Amino acid sequence: MTTETVHSNAGAAQPVLEVKDLCVSYGKVEALTNASLTVGEGQIVTVIGPNGAGKTTMLSAIMGVLGSKGRVAFDGTLEVVPEVERMVARGMNLVPEKRELFGEMSVEDNLVLGAFQRYRMGKRDHAQTLEEVYALFPRLKERRDQAAGTMSGGERQMLAVGRALMAKPKLLMLDEPSLGLAPLIVREIFRIIAELRRRGVSILLVEQNARAALQVADYAYVLETGQVAMEGPAHLLADDPRVIEAYLGFGKHQDMLST
Amino acid sequence: MEAMRILMDEHQSLAAIIHAIRYMIKEIGEGRLEPDHKLLQAMVEYLDAYPEKRHHPKEDEFLFGPLKERTPEGAEVLAHLEREHAEADARIKKLEAALARYRAGEAGGCAAFGDAFDEYAEFYRNHMMTEEREVIPLLIKHLTAEDWARADAGFAASRDPMGGTRNASGQEDFARIFSKLVAAAPAPIGLGAGPYKDD
Repeated sequence: MTTETVHSNAGAAQPVLEVKDLCVSYGKVEALTNASLTVGEGQIVTVIGPNGAGKTTMLSAIMGVLGSKGRVAFDGTLEVVPEVERMVARGMNLVPEKRELFGEMSVEDNLVLGAFQRYRMGKRDHAQTLEEVYALFPRLKERRDQAAGTMSGGERQMLAVGRALMAKPKLLMLDEPSLGLAPLIVREIFRIIAELRRRGVSILLVEQNARAALQVADYAYVLETGQVAMEGPAHLLADDPRVIEAYLGFGKHQDMLST
Repeated sequence: MEAMRILMDEHQSLAAIIHAIRYMIKEIGEGRLEPDHKLLQAMVEYLDAYPEKRHHPKEDEFLFGPLKERTPEGAEVLAHLEREHAEADARIKKLEAALARYRAGEAGGCAAFGDAFDEYAEFYRNHMMTEEREVIPLLIKHLTAEDWARADAGFAASRDPMGGTRNASGQEDFARIFSKLVAAAPAPIGLGAGPYKDD
C-alpha cells in the first residue's frame, strides 16, 4: 500500500511524538506495518480507520503496552523499547477504549491514582491538579465520593480522561473516546478535547467517528489494514472524496435523529 | 472550506439535541423517566436561539446567496431551503405551544408534544440531508476562493457550541448552555445531573 500524503506533518513545530516505521505482529499476523506519524506540540492529531485497522494496536505499541519494532521518539528522546512506566513518567498518557477504572473506588480516589507516578517522583501538586480537573469536569466534583462503577458511560469517560490529566501529560492519547456514547455526550467529549488543546495538551486521538475527529483535529492519518493509507491536514482530508466516501458520507444525521 | 466544517459541525450539534429530546419524550411516554420540563424547555430554546436564529441566516448569507450568484443550478432546491429557513419562527412557535400545553398538564399533552417534536425532527432530518446531499456538492463545484474566504470568515465569526459562541449582544455563551444541557440530561444520553436549573 502506498501512503498518500496531502501535506506532511513531519514539519510540525516542536514534535512531541515521532513514530517511524512501527511494526507490530501477533504471531505470524502483522497488525501494524511500517506505520509512521508525528504529533506536534499543542496539536490534535487523529488516526481514523475502520474497525480492525490497527488503531488501538498503534497506541498500545507507542505506549509500550505491546512489543513493537520501529522508532518511537517522545519529547525529543528516542525510546528504543517503550515501557509503560517510563512513558508515563515522561509525560505520555493513554485513555484506553475500555476506560479501565477501579469500579469500587470513589471518583476522587480514581483521580488521585492518576497522579501516583508524579507523587512517586516527588511531585506533590496533585491537590491543585485535582481542582483543575474538577474545574474541567464539574460533574466529577459533584460525584467525588461515588463509586466509579456506578457512574454512567459518559461520566466514566470523563473520569478516565480526568484521571489521565492528573498525570499532567505532555501527550494525551485517547482511544475511541466517543465509543458507545450518545450523540449529546459525544459532542461534549469533543468540546472538552478542543478545550484541552487550548490548555496546551498535545493529543493523539484514535476514533471511528471520523466526522467528529476530523472536525476537531489539526492533522489526520487514515489507517487501513495496519498501514497508513493517507495523511494530511484534517480539513483537507475531510474534503477528500475518498475519505468522504469511505468514512464520512453525507446525510449521516439520519442515524442520530432516530431513537 | 472552514465554513463547510463549521456547518457540518453545527448540524451534528443540532442532531444531538434533537436525538436527546426524542429520547426523553419516548422514555417519559413509557413511564421510565420523570419529566424535567425545564430541561425540555431549555433544549427547545436552544434550538430556537442557535440553529434557527444563527445557523440558517449564515447559510443564507454566506453560502446560498453566493451560490445563486454563481449558477442557476440548484435554484429550485435553494428556494425550497430558504423558504424553510424563513418559516423558523412558525416552526418553533408550534413546538413551544405544544410544550406549553404539556407543561400545563393538558390531557394527552406529552403525546401531543411528542407528535409535534417528531414532525420537527423529521423536518430537520430532511432539511439537513437536502443541504448535505444536494447543496454541498454544488457549493464545492461553484463557489470561488473569494466566496469561500468570505464564508469562512462569516461562519467563524459566529461559531457553534463547540467553540464557545456568544450571541450578537455577547450575552449568551452557547458552549456553556450546551454543557449545561448535557449535564442535566438523564443518562445514558447525558450526565444525569438534572433537574435543569435556571441561572
